[in-house]
Amino acid sequence: MAVSPVLSPKPNPPGTKATTNASKAKALAILNHSRSVSSPIAPSAATTPGDGGQDLAEQMNDEVRRQFVSGSRLGEGTYAIVYRGHFRSDPSKLVAIKKMKLNAEFKDGITLDSIREMRHLCELDHPNIIKLYAVFTTKDQNISLVLEHLPRGDLEGLWKDHSIMYGGADIKSWSNMLCQAVWFCHESRVLHRDIKGNNLLIAADNTLKLADFGLARGFADPGRPMTSNVITRFYRPPELLLGSQHYGGCVDIWSTACVIAELALRDFFLPSETDLAQLSVITDVFGIPTETDWPGISSLRHWEVNFKSAAPKRPQPLSFWRQRLPLLGDDGIDLLRGMMAMDPAKRLSAEQVLKHAYWTNYPRPTKKEDLPRQGDGEKKMGEDLKRAGGELESGRTDKVARKLNFG
Amino acid sequence: MSKVARAPGASKRLAEDGGASPLSNSLHHLSLQQSPSKASKATPAFADSSSDICPVCKSSRYLNPNMKFLVNPECYHKMCESCVDRIFSHGPAPCPIAGCKRTLRKAKFRSQTFEDLKVEREVDIRRRVAKLFDKQESDFETLIDYNNYLEQVEEINWNLILGIDVEKTEQRLRKWEEARKADLNPNAIRRVTEPDTSQLSDTSHVILKKGATQRKVLMSSSASNLNPLGGGDDAERDTGFVFRGLKKRKAPEPEKPFDPFDGWSIEPQYYSFQGDYNHNWFTAMKNDPQHYAGGYDMREYYSRALCDAFGGMGIFIEDEMTARDTQGFDDAGLGTQSVATVAAGGRDVDMADIF
Ligand SMILES: Nc1ncnc2c1ncn2[C@@H]1O[C@H](COP(=O)(O)OP(=O)(O)OP(=O)(O)O)[C@@H](O)[C@H]1O
Ligand SMILES: [Mg+2]
Ligand SMILES: [Zn+2]
Ligand SMILES: [Zn+2]
Repeated sequence: MAVSPVLSPKPNPPGTKATTNASKAKALAILNHSRSVSSPIAPSAATTPGDGGQDLAEQMNDEVRRQFVSGSRLGEGTYAIVYRGHFRSDPSKLVAIKKMKLNAEFKDGITLDSIREMRHLCELDHPNIIKLYAVFTTKDQNISLVLEHLPRGDLEGLWKDHSIMYGGADIKSWSNMLCQAVWFCHESRVLHRDIKGNNLLIAADNTLKLADFGLARGFADPGRPMTSNVITRFYRPPELLLGSQHYGGCVDIWSTACVIAELALRDFFLPSETDLAQLSVITDVFGIPTETDWPGISSLRHWEVNFKSAAPKRPQPLSFWRQRLPLLGDDGIDLLRGMMAMDPAKRLSAEQVLKHAYWTNYPRPTKKEDLPRQGDGEKKMGEDLKRAGGELESGRTDKVARKLNFG
Repeated sequence: MSKVARAPGASKRLAEDGGASPLSNSLHHLSLQQSPSKASKATPAFADSSSDICPVCKSSRYLNPNMKFLVNPECYHKMCESCVDRIFSHGPAPCPIAGCKRTLRKAKFRSQTFEDLKVEREVDIRRRVAKLFDKQESDFETLIDYNNYLEQVEEINWNLILGIDVEKTEQRLRKWEEARKADLNPNAIRRVTEPDTSQLSDTSHVILKKGATQRKVLMSSSASNLNPLGGGDDAERDTGFVFRGLKKRKAPEPEKPFDPFDGWSIEPQYYSFQGDYNHNWFTAMKNDPQHYAGGYDMREYYSRALCDAFGGMGIFIEDEMTARDTQGFDDAGLGTQSVATVAAGGRDVDMADIF
């Protein structure tokens, strides 16, 4: 069976904030009955296994697929090709259709990635997390995710684009949206495990949205190992590099801090060439932790190879941070260092992050509508050229001045 | 008033432009034609070289190519930078140009933007007035009100430029500025600055009331701290100028403090979280360095376990029955059932998920 009927038609996300995540089960129950209130998103068929067997599943799948029209290519990632699309019922409602590539490892046609993405994304309903509208399979048994269309590029593209100027208040605004997304995932018991600038997409209204849940999973039970080989290298926390298989939300917090630092630096914060080099790049800044700094560190799988006979390294002083990240201010630096405590047990939780004084201190985060964004620079310049030579930005003074006769 | 010309529905206004405001119109022409005609009277050759000689120290740009001329908007008499330094470095001093008795301050000197000092002065005046009268069309009830406002402002400009009723205008401008400040910062003490009584030629002044009726008001010296019209009512406050149809400015609502959670909160509804629980199995895991050093937070597990255990409390069979009734038989009673299947399905994936 290609798709379990339970997973096949992706229900619409829960409607009200209050009910979301009060409990998973409740949210799902609401999903079910909110269908009667029905947006165009809602698939109409019911889902009961065994009810109509495979035929019903296929029938439902077709029904879901027919709700969307897919168009030109938007981009391609490692595991998927993304197409532009829209609701058949309303062509102004744009979507991005992410068609997973066939993966040899999963011959039945479903990649683990897409299952993860569906499972977790469908339960998360927050303005800073990309919305999953639906899931369907195509004739070649390939899974397609119908996602919210986010046309303004990603955060990495944004800091790399030097035609865009931004400051401390803008950084705080983007960072806050990111931290809210992470907090919401963790509150919903989901680890993202691939937080990085290019997985943070920007909506038409400048809202930052956490995307790409291909590596996400639920929090594991104690005693159940998880892979330590997750998170893109530059953003991977020390405990994963040391081989920890029992970790928690702290891994995402480290990555999040890297993204914030990156925004302020307009460069990668801890770049390296290899996994091995990554630890030394990290310890150059944070020092090599001892058993006292990080109780139990020597029992981690890769501790011996990396740290046992390494020459001691001291962490960089506050002056290093002030000099490298002046845009964050002392409070921002304090937050960042709290998010990057080497010992994950000492690292701030997402909730503690959002309760940090940095957010409410001066400067106030830029309002979403005032954030700089990609594409604006060119447009603005074009408009400037269109205006008559020497004409100033419109305002009362120049209108009066223009009446003067200088001849 | 190009703004007026472009404003929608302003065609009527355009027609009026020629007739309705003969005063400003004629003044307009006067000023624009004045300067060229005067300039033509001066001998061109002389005018050229004189512009390069400092009227105070007579040094010339010919000998000193770096020489820079400065003007002070108090009187617009031009002089060279070194003269300004010499004369005004020790504090305010009278203008050194014969016949000019104005006291000048060094800080106010600046280089000249326009060749013609008349233009320079006019632009300065307009800039100052425009700063004080920065209302937008949306601040007025109707376009006509806005146009009348622009007309009145233009009159102020020309009064200042041509030196008509300067003192009275200045006085009203001061009141206007005061009222603006009070409006922008309502918390500041509403203090009517004691006007320079010597300038108040009489004990009376004129304000333009709503509906353009003029009214004389007695300024009693005893009422210096109070609103001269009695009562603290804004509408009755003397703001120097009154414009018909000007909407009352609403004090901007103080911005709420930034909420880093943006209104979201997630609190358990059916249980309270203790933070730590003791159970043999928990304790073993809690004391395992692979867990505590690896970043595993038992509290995250406790709260998830609690949430799962109490999750069912959030299902309201009654709601689902209602939903079923409205939906028809198709979806009958599926809420709870499908929750169960999703949960089961989910666990299945979990089992296989060693990643
Ligand atoms: N929701 C979306 N709206 C608009 N464009 C999108 C959306 N999702 C993805 N894209 C575009 O498609 C491209 C591929 O996305 P995808 O997430 O599959 O891969 P990636 O993140 O670039 O790479 P990787 O798979 O290695 O993480 C993105 O770079 C982006 O340009
Ligand atoms: Mg990606
Ligand atoms: Zn001189
Ligand atoms: Zn002078």
